[in-house]
Amino acid sequence: MIPPPFDYFAPTDIQEALDLLNKYGEEAKILAGGQSLMPLLKARITTIPYLISLSEIRGLSYIDERKGALHIGAMTLDCDIELSGIIKKRFPILADAAGQLADPLVRNMGTIGGNISHADPSNDLPAVMNAIGATMIAKGRKGSREINASDFFIDTFTTALDHGEILTEIRLPFWGNSSGGSYVKFKKGTWNFSVAAVAVQLELDGKKVIRSGIATTSVGPRTLKMEKAEKFIIGKELTEDTIKQAAEMVARDSQPASDSYGSEEYKREILRRITTDAIKNAHKRAGGE
Amino acid sequence: MELSEKLVTGKGRFTDDINLPGMIHLAFVRSPYARAKILKISGGLTSEDIALSVSSVGEGASEGFENLAHPVLAHKFVGYVGQPVAAVFSENQYEAEDMIDSVDIEYDPLKAVSDPEESINFEPIYPGLKSNTIVDKWYGSDFNPERSQIEIEDRFVNNRIATNPIEPRGVVAAYDGSKLTVWMGTQSVHSIRRGFSEAMKLPLESVRIVQMDTGGAFGLKGGMFPEYIVAAHLAMKEKRPVKWIETRREHLMASRPGRGVIGKVRLFADRNGKIHGLKGDVIVDNGAFTGGSGEFSPGFIAQQMAGPYKIDNAYVRARSVLTNKAPQGPYRGAGRPEAMYFVERMMDRLADELKMDPVDVRLLNAATEPYKSPLGYHVEASKPFLESAVKELNYRKYAGRENVGFSFFILYHATSGGESARILAEDGKLKVWLGGNAHGQRHDIFVKTLIREELGVDEDLIDVQKGDTDQIEDGVGAWGSRSAMVAGSAVVIAARKIKEQIQKKAGKYSVDKLLEGSWDSYEFYRYDRMESSLGANLVTADVDHLGRVKVKECLAYYDLGRVLDPVNAAGQNAGGVVQGIGQTLYESLTFDEDGQPMITSISDAGVLSADLVPKSSIKFHKSESDLPSRAKGIGESPTIGIPIALSRAIEVATGLKIRETPISPEYLLSSSGKK
Repeated sequence: MIPPPFDYFAPTDIQEALDLLNKYGEEAKILAGGQSLMPLLKARITTIPYLISLSEIRGLSYIDERKGALHIGAMTLDCDIELSGIIKKRFPILADAAGQLADPLVRNMGTIGGNISHADPSNDLPAVMNAIGATMIAKGRKGSREINASDFFIDTFTTALDHGEILTEIRLPFWGNSSGGSYVKFKKGTWNFSVAAVAVQLELDGKKVIRSGIATTSVGPRTLKMEKAEKFIIGKELTEDTIKQAAEMVARDSQPASDSYGSEEYKREILRRITTDAIKNAHKRAGGE
Repeated sequence: MELSEKLVTGKGRFTDDINLPGMIHLAFVRSPYARAKILKISGGLTSEDIALSVSSVGEGASEGFENLAHPVLAHKFVGYVGQPVAAVFSENQYEAEDMIDSVDIEYDPLKAVSDPEESINFEPIYPGLKSNTIVDKWYGSDFNPERSQIEIEDRFVNNRIATNPIEPRGVVAAYDGSKLTVWMGTQSVHSIRRGFSEAMKLPLESVRIVQMDTGGAFGLKGGMFPEYIVAAHLAMKEKRPVKWIETRREHLMASRPGRGVIGKVRLFADRNGKIHGLKGDVIVDNGAFTGGSGEFSPGFIAQQMAGPYKIDNAYVRARSVLTNKAPQGPYRGAGRPEAMYFVERMMDRLADELKMDPVDVRLLNAATEPYKSPLGYHVEASKPFLESAVKELNYRKYAGRENVGFSFFILYHATSGGESARILAEDGKLKVWLGGNAHGQRHDIFVKTLIREELGVDEDLIDVQKGDTDQIEDGVGAWGSRSAMVAGSAVVIAARKIKEQIQKKAGKYSVDKLLEGSWDSYEFYRYDRMESSLGANLVTADVDHLGRVKVKECLAYYDLGRVLDPVNAAGQNAGGVVQGIGQTLYESLTFDEDGQPMITSISDAGVLSADLVPKSSIKFHKSESDLPSRAKGIGESPTIGIPIALSRAIEVATGLKIRETPISPEYLLSSSGKK
């Protein structure tokens, strides 16, 4: 398992990285931990002649509590997300997902920016970004722009990033005091990727839901934002029946395909059940019953 | 440094740690098709350069079927995805892998068959063949089941699984003009030497096999493989050392996986649960070539199918069928887990049919005295053991709980053929070699115990060596739960022989005389019988609302005869429990309709991660064997008993009939509300 030959660059500032990306165009790719790209290269599933690593650029790894939002540097390690006190407190949904991502060895090397920009439909963090309503900061040669999570994930391995752009920061807007979230992932025993997973973020006013974010992993060409279910629970109390109906909407709006992980119907059934679990847990964390 | 400490602190020396001056790295171009004609090959070494086939050695080795022997490099046809077609090499390992793309092969793909039952009536996969069924034999004799009041029937599948040792296959071969030396991880340097000698038509004495630290084997590393012969051929031709190390991807596609057996069983009994007869049909998924264990397996399985029970009438058909997959090979248990799974699952069926306790059905049918089963194998008196197992495992406390499964089995040890040992006393120390080579079991521990007992030597002065055909004349191999029995006995006799040598030369034996002198003793302990021992397991497991199984307790009660080292025996059990659960819940090598393997990475191979390993414990029954070591085997017991008991626990927990390993999570989800 040896990758085909490639040139490796480790620039020390973001401008240099952008210049290299521009210079080599489509033949270049950003390396941000390498936990997905390196296996693809080693199995010779893909060839990338120029790899530009962000590992030597300082100042891309941080978790900062700012006014109104949590700012996370794109090169922050998955294990640092998993273990961060502030993330556990403000976004337990993200701590859930980071803690279940692949295995500890991958989490020690992989980064939040890498997980999000790779846009593998089975990667765990995109659904969480969708549920929270995160903002992605993309840096290009002409400056920075903000992209909403709901516009960011276009297709399998495809994001709204232009080729010359690098994801440098993720901003998670704070939700109100009575909010909480949960990420429930269903894996087949020992397998690395999930059969299905779902991210649910809720905010309550008394017993009623006033804001919601629901998104899935592994059941479509990309993470799917479940707008119908999100809207359905707004203004409602989370009774067993409401939760059941919301879970049904998520199962129906998902786009699973039959494969070695299971049949389409099986995946929908799993989704029904884990969505129920995730809504209940998010509700509890938001201070509901 | 103690061996375990050495291995877990990175101080082991494995085949891939060898780097010799001028060494060449080998890489293989493998078939992307499950079945195809080869129209043209340009580049690389091909069957034109090396027109040899692999010889069958190791556990379950077979004779005959020369036309179906595995070619070292594919000739005219390919029979499975991953089959070596051409070889490329370079001084640089990176370059060798890059060179794979430089070989151009034209194929004419043909329709492949990967399901053995389908293959029975499928067109023969090679020209000139009449049928894909290569073994079709009957065991026992037909009988009239008229007087039986109950007839139950079911079909079970143990799907194929990769052996998946941590260290994959690999060799380093070198040639000095007269002798070929091969360094590798192996279970048997002598079988491997025979394999090279037969395949390459070299005299035995011009081949030397040296065992390196061996990172697990589980049956895989007793046999010969095409890649080894290409490495040796190239070493002799180029007069340079050659290295080949298997990748995990290659292991999952193109090494020899185990299991892959279907068993159909019909049981005839009366209303109080007494079995009158058994009829069966065993189908082994042989894969595309012979030389693995696919010819040996069906008969071996069929002959065990009375289990530990007294069954007066039995008649079993045993078949092996070609499929477009890598040849089947031995995997920890190698036919034993399959046979016992088929019989034991039927005992549970019978209990359910009669609404009896499953262990009571087993007690009713256990053999009260030894007898020869109509299928061929000797069955020991099993009822007294089962009665103690029920007590020792505290079964009556668990009985009736909605998450408990029980298994009762007979383990046939591969003792026939015997084994060798050599003890060399020199410079105040003892060196010991065994004919079968340990690959993780720590045979050194029991060897030291036995020698200390026989010769009174301090264990620190005993050094157990790895296998080397230059150091020990002959040997069989470490497999089939045999080592403590036959290798242990060879050690005992070799030690006694040294004692006699000393007594003859120097009068009364003393440790000082032994350590001051120079003594050498080699013993090939000949043993022709297949021995057996009994075992029982109790497993509890829960299944949640998502169909996830949580294995809670794995309890064992095994007859080990004399327990040479309880800690190490518990270690054997712990590892076997992990593999038993792996087979039952997660591990399988699946293929699509075109024979393309679906499992190509360790991340989906289903091997248990540490967080899924439950509590396991073992109690010993100590009915000593008649062998000089007085021991009985354990290596394969957990891989026999765990899948049966765990399948039953899940059956009880879900109300679903369990017929197949691994148990599909999708199937388990359909259980909701069933109970």
